[in-house]
Amino acid sequence: MSGAVPTTIIVYSLAFAGFALLMTALNRRMGLTLLVGLGVLEILLLVLVGMIVARLADGGRPASVPTLIGYLIATPLVPLIAGFWGALERSRWGPAVIAVAGLASAVLVVRFHEIWPAIHV
Amino acid sequence: MSEPAASPKTGASPPESTRTGPGRLLVAVYGLFALSASARAAVQIGTKFSHAPVAYVLSAFAAVVYILATVTLSNGRPTARRIAVVSCSVEFIGVLAVGTWSIADPATFPDATVWSGYGSGYGFVPLVLPIFGLLWLRHWARRARRASAERAIVPSAGDGGVDEGAHPARSPVRSVRDPE
Repeated sequence: MSGAVPTTIIVYSLAFAGFALLMTALNRRMGLTLLVGLGVLEILLLVLVGMIVARLADGGRPASVPTLIGYLIATPLVPLIAGFWGALERSRWGPAVIAVAGLASAVLVVRFHEIWPAIHV
Repeated sequence: MSEPAASPKTGASPPESTRTGPGRLLVAVYGLFALSASARAAVQIGTKFSHAPVAYVLSAFAAVVYILATVTLSNGRPTARRIAVVSCSVEFIGVLAVGTWSIADPATFPDATVWSGYGSGYGFVPLVLPIFGLLWLRHWARRARRASAERAIVPSAGDGGVDEGAHPARSPVRSVRDPE
């Protein structure tokens, strides 16, 4: 598996988290830009999940399959839940929630690599 | 953004609570840790419990504490806040105790818990999270005390900003009835 997708996700989600933190610092509320950015993050994560599932289907196995499956289920939920939770907030703390989702996504992709080194970063 | 017809309370914005404002971020981070700690504990206990039983039981305990904090902070009523104070305190003591134990006696921890090394595997967020949680709860406890003191002194000066669980009778001046 090429490292292009995981690396793209890490770079994108960190940049996106930085943007969301900037919005918090500037005292902005949730807006369309952040929701679209979150949607892009969701699509990228689903692409990664699809690639990993394809690899599992090909017969590849990490050291701990249950751990990997847990991550495959939990990871795409992060931007979704953060989007709903952040959209409920009418203050600068909405974008702060989105920043957490960005940082968490970057960490999750690094963890995928640790769980299964075949997923290059 | 269109405002949905809110609950029959005063004001256009939703009532403030431990889950709004900075609390929104706090609950999000607690939720993230509740998710990751319980997933980790489930996998550890389900697949290799005998490998490091102490570490895995502590992982499960941490998961319960995080779930409790997430639920009570997002609820925000006085009873929930009291439970949250207890769970955040237990969490803080737990991070310090397990962190120290994992460094003093690494043999007991062949596999890590969320609180090993004071949460070093999670960027020390587990160490600072209960501090912010307790500060936030103290802010709310003070606010509630102030509000109830004001209500006791000037019954008609309801500010409408603080919505405490023990609803006193609404002051006659403000009791403009909402059509229901």
